Amino acid sequence: MAAAAVVAGLGSCSCDFSDLREIKKQLLSVAERSRERGLQHSGKWASELAFALDPLPLSELPPAPALTEEDARDLDAYTLAKSYFDLKEYDRAAYFLRGCKSQKAYFLYMYSRYLSGEKKKDDETVDSLGPLEKGQVKNEALRELRVELGKKHKAQELDGFGLYLYGVVLRKLDLVKEATDAFVEAAHVLPLHWGAWLELCNLITDKEMLKSLSLPDTWMKEFFLAHIYTELQLIEEALQKYQSLIDAGFSKSTYIISQIAVAYHNIRDIDKALSIFNELRKQDPYRIENMDTFSNLLYVRSMKPELSYLAHNLCEIDKYRVETCCVIGNYYSLRSQHEKAALYFQRALKLNPRYLGAWTLMGHEYMEMKNTSAAIQAYRHAIEVNKRDYRAWYGLGQTYEILKMPFYCLYYYRRAHQLRPNDSRMLVALGECYEKLNQLVEAKKCYWRAYAVGDVEKMALVKLAKLHEQLNESEQAAQCYIKYIQDIYSCGEIVEHLEVSTAFRYLAQYYFKCKLWDEASACAQKCCAFNDTREEGKALLRQILQLRNQGETSSTEISAPFFLPASLSSNNTPTRRVSPLNLSSVTP
Amino acid sequence: MASVHESLYFNPMMTNGVVHANVFGIKDCVTPYKMALLVLLSELGRAGAQLSLLERRRLNRLLLPLLQGPDMTLSRLHKAIEESCPHLANSVKIRIKLMAEGELKDMEQFFDDLSDSFTGTEPEVHKTSVVGLFLRHMILAYNKLSFSQVYKLYTALQQYYQHDEKKNGIDETDMELTNTEELEGKMEKEELDVPLREEEISCSGPLSQKQAEYFLSQQASLLKNDETKALTPALLQKELNSLLKFNPDFAEAHYLSYLNSLRVQDVFSSTHSLLHYFDRLILTGAESKSNGDEGYGRSLRYAALNLAALHCRFGHYQQAELALQEAIRIAQESNDHVCLQHCLSWLYILEQKRSDSCVLLEHSVKKAVHFGLPYLASLGIQSLVQQRAFAGKTANKLMDALKDSDLLHWKHSLSELIDISIAQKTAIWRLYGRSTMALQQAQMLLSMNSLEAVNVGVQQNNTESFAVVLCHLAELHAEQGCFAAASEILKHLKERFPPNSQHAQLWMLFDQKIQFDRAMNDGKYHVADSFIAGITALNSIEGVYRKAIVLKAQNQMSEAHKLLQKLLIHCQNIKNTEMVISVLLSIAELYWRSSCHTIALPVLLQALALSREYRLQYLASETVLNLAFSQLILGIPEQALNILHMAIEPILAHGAVLDKGCAMFLVAKCQVASATSYTPQKKAEALESAILNLNEAKTYFAKVDCKEQLRDVLYFQARLFHTLGKTQERNKCAMLFRQMHQELPAHGVPLINAFK
Repeated sequence: MAAAAVVAGLGSCSCDFSDLREIKKQLLSVAERSRERGLQHSGKWASELAFALDPLPLSELPPAPALTEEDARDLDAYTLAKSYFDLKEYDRAAYFLRGCKSQKAYFLYMYSRYLSGEKKKDDETVDSLGPLEKGQVKNEALRELRVELGKKHKAQELDGFGLYLYGVVLRKLDLVKEATDAFVEAAHVLPLHWGAWLELCNLITDKEMLKSLSLPDTWMKEFFLAHIYTELQLIEEALQKYQSLIDAGFSKSTYIISQIAVAYHNIRDIDKALSIFNELRKQDPYRIENMDTFSNLLYVRSMKPELSYLAHNLCEIDKYRVETCCVIGNYYSLRSQHEKAALYFQRALKLNPRYLGAWTLMGHEYMEMKNTSAAIQAYRHAIEVNKRDYRAWYGLGQTYEILKMPFYCLYYYRRAHQLRPNDSRMLVALGECYEKLNQLVEAKKCYWRAYAVGDVEKMALVKLAKLHEQLNESEQAAQCYIKYIQDIYSCGEIVEHLEVSTAFRYLAQYYFKCKLWDEASACAQKCCAFNDTREEGKALLRQILQLRNQGETSSTEISAPFFLPASLSSNNTPTRRVSPLNLSSVTP
Repeated sequence: MASVHESLYFNPMMTNGVVHANVFGIKDCVTPYKMALLVLLSELGRAGAQLSLLERRRLNRLLLPLLQGPDMTLSRLHKAIEESCPHLANSVKIRIKLMAEGELKDMEQFFDDLSDSFTGTEPEVHKTSVVGLFLRHMILAYNKLSFSQVYKLYTALQQYYQHDEKKNGIDETDMELTNTEELEGKMEKEELDVPLREEEISCSGPLSQKQAEYFLSQQASLLKNDETKALTPALLQKELNSLLKFNPDFAEAHYLSYLNSLRVQDVFSSTHSLLHYFDRLILTGAESKSNGDEGYGRSLRYAALNLAALHCRFGHYQQAELALQEAIRIAQESNDHVCLQHCLSWLYILEQKRSDSCVLLEHSVKKAVHFGLPYLASLGIQSLVQQRAFAGKTANKLMDALKDSDLLHWKHSLSELIDISIAQKTAIWRLYGRSTMALQQAQMLLSMNSLEAVNVGVQQNNTESFAVVLCHLAELHAEQGCFAAASEILKHLKERFPPNSQHAQLWMLFDQKIQFDRAMNDGKYHVADSFIAGITALNSIEGVYRKAIVLKAQNQMSEAHKLLQKLLIHCQNIKNTEMVISVLLSIAELYWRSSCHTIALPVLLQALALSREYRLQYLASETVLNLAFSQLILGIPEQALNILHMAIEPILAHGAVLDKGCAMFLVAKCQVASATSYTPQKKAEALESAILNLNEAKTYFAKVDCKEQLRDVLYFQARLFHTLGKTQERNKCAMLFRQMHQELPAHGVPLINAFK
């Protein structure tokens, strides 16, 4: 069969990126083939990627796929049906395609039947009879499609696209395992079809499952792996993959750039993500995809003008897009107009009820409005759509914390922590709850872990130190304060940290008690730099001087080893990266 | 042992607590079943006077359950109508058939005609009657439907009818096969559908709202009352999952899933379901109540409380306490005394795990009465009674208290608590060693018709109290040597409470205890030993105690002694007086087995004092037996005889058969010993009466298969006959002794010195 030959030709793409021209050819060809079958998203993806590569000379452009006997026979029906299909008259398209034997026409036939079922299902949900029936509306076509495709599948008559459709049908019927198998097979037969890979991404739940699948060794696999790593929150690996793809020659691909930006967003490297998004917008100013993520970043940084500009811009491009609604919602939220923000998130959900982010964001808005019950509802919806949404779990925890139920919210924070074991925010939240419940041992563990995984807000250490203080474990408390001060100074943050003064005061007193006069006086002097501890610092200095004079006569080591005199007199933010409290010799 | 578990505080449909039947407003919608009912109603009106009075009455009785019940299939409806009036059933069916096979306009016409029944000078149906309301609801609901919905309803009606037809068609096997092609296609589809069915079985039955509610409430009440009749945990979970898939807002399903997870001791999914339920409840509560804040805060409190209950059930007492504190704090902030009351009861349960102060409980009872919470109040009283019983309060006061709480139960028809109260009484009587009273109470519960049974139509409830009572009954029978009866009861228990159900542990323990005792009586110590592991798993203290007994029987005195001493200290710490006395008795026995009767005496006196203080009569008389034996050996048989007279009466009245035998044997021994100083004639009389007593002992021992004791009795009897010069009888006894002696291994302790 000629079609099979073409498939084979396309299927045999190599696993490295040495021949970019060949890759480009393959991409162009698969984009065309996807479009012929009405698979617009896959076509778009392939074309986007092809656009990033250098243009081919005329001689090397891939020829139009040769028509077979069957294709020729079905050509009229196909042409007619395709135009109906493009006009979303699926039933009509399917009617004229019945009995067509060629692969292309057959796929379009099945696909229009599937889409028609889906469309009807969506329409049905609006007017169902009873409240319980709401969820019961099913795509009636699915079972028939499954039976017919299953038969063809058994006879091995399905091509890559057919297998993909079979997988989609299976997934819609919640037959996850069979669906996964179908998609893997589709990826083997036609590795260039991005849709199959994308569907596979949705079905893979963890790393083990990913490892257990046998995937074709092609260059497409690299894209797939990068994508799935992002999904599974394995950001480091994902970034590595994307970098290598860029190195291989896809540096101009907007797809890759946006994915990298999303990855940085996921590990909360806000500055990098922002700069990449800005770059992306320069290259692709009318892009709407991923702009919701971008707006999240702008929101976190409270960059009002930029967010406002983005919102206006997107609204001009297309105001009935989920992403647009989300951006506008974020914009209103930043302006503290939470009712309006919630309204826009609701609109986003009306446009796409499965759009996860909006549920969570709406929950946040309700939280701001102090409407806890609505917030809980929104978060619960988010969890229903995706159980792995740690933000929703975290939000639920916060809601209950606001309701003063620290024990109750533990469960939710723990769920969030399970999903993001390396996120310090959940750990700090857990620690705070334990602290409220007077479970200091657990609290200490949480704070310590939060510090160990890299604390974002830098509060874990202070909290830990205070806990130690409470428990009269002065030594550990001092250690924590030292670490905290080192931390603050080493990242050279200009932001005034309220707790720095507390740390210095405690340390001064601690050293004073240990009779380590030099360190004590150094810390006391630092105390003098803060308003709230100035008096105490001065008093302590006087005391130290007194005791010193009583004790030893030699006072040659006034210039303490750890603070340069210059920095003592200056303000509390030393600009250079001194290791200010290298006091490890002090502790016994 | 009295037993009211904390689980009883946990009542799935908490009377004053969280769960009320329905949180979302019922919205009527027209379904094919409802249409069939409408047809029935209109036929009823049409038939009018033709119906006989009897038929009319039957139909009227039928109508209400039909209107309120869940949807059913056409054939079932048909059958239901047929039972009361076959002629009407047919006409209903014909009209539905006409409507389903006709056109859409038939249905529209039908609904148009419906409203006619209200018009006229003398309307057939009163507007405000039950039927009238139903009709008006339906008409309203129908009129609200959009065109596509009407069409959908019509196709649903067709399916409803055809589904029924198909079934009948298959039954009658005279389906007309006009279109072979169609049949082929159908066959093919069915054939391919089969594997799909299996995978999708969970989503096969979309339920209507009423059906879903009915299903949930039915399963919940079954879980509470008779677990075996409920769906298996896996199946139930599957059903629930499909229900939730169709309607994630159906919060009650989450609660049932929580209960279901509790059945299989799955802490993770039960927590998950519970929290999910309350997340959902919070929002429905906020919506449905006009004073939104109130309903919403309320569920928060109960959420925390239920979480505490959950942790308590899984034995996470620390977590439970934290959750409880939270619930208490929130309840206090919002002045919810009822919730606080629940919290207080739970607080007691948690406190009980550590110390046995009953101050909290007394408070709880008082407050509960004050706030009018009969359930909590009487549950509190029962816990209090249980605790007081352990603390040795007089029986009459306890029974008085129970009587008072019974009054409460009957007044408020708390049938569940009535059962518990009777079970409690059984347990208390057994604790005091009054087996006849215990027996009577147990029988009473078993032969009583519970109130619930009248309502639901379930014959018997499989609640914990029944398990407790049946277990006691089994043990009582075993004590009287009716092993067949005991094992019969246990068999019944096994059927009623299959091994993986909630209360199965109870009978498992009793079963093993009974078997252990039998093995000990038989002298098969290794067999008894094999039961210890099982007993220990279910009740560690009991297990250790029995281990010591086996060690003692195997003459490993020092090990047994060590074990018993440890156990004694532990039991004294946890204030398990019953066990302390038993252990003391065993220790004393160890002493006299090692011929240290003088050391045994103070131990026995201590045991006696304790058992008197706590009014554990059964243990007291056993202690007296031991004491008498020691006195006998120490050479004061007269004194021994004196105190034996004191103990013999309760033992013969209430004691186990084995103890009766031992007592009679001991009496005989004392008689013989004290006869030495008598004149020959008097001595002969004394010996004669001793022989009679021995005979009695023999029958007792024979009843429980105690071969060793039998052998001893025979030996002793032979000696007595010898002294009296009755050679023939002596020889008979000696022969019997000889036979038994060959069967049994020799005992380490000299024969005459043992009394047990």
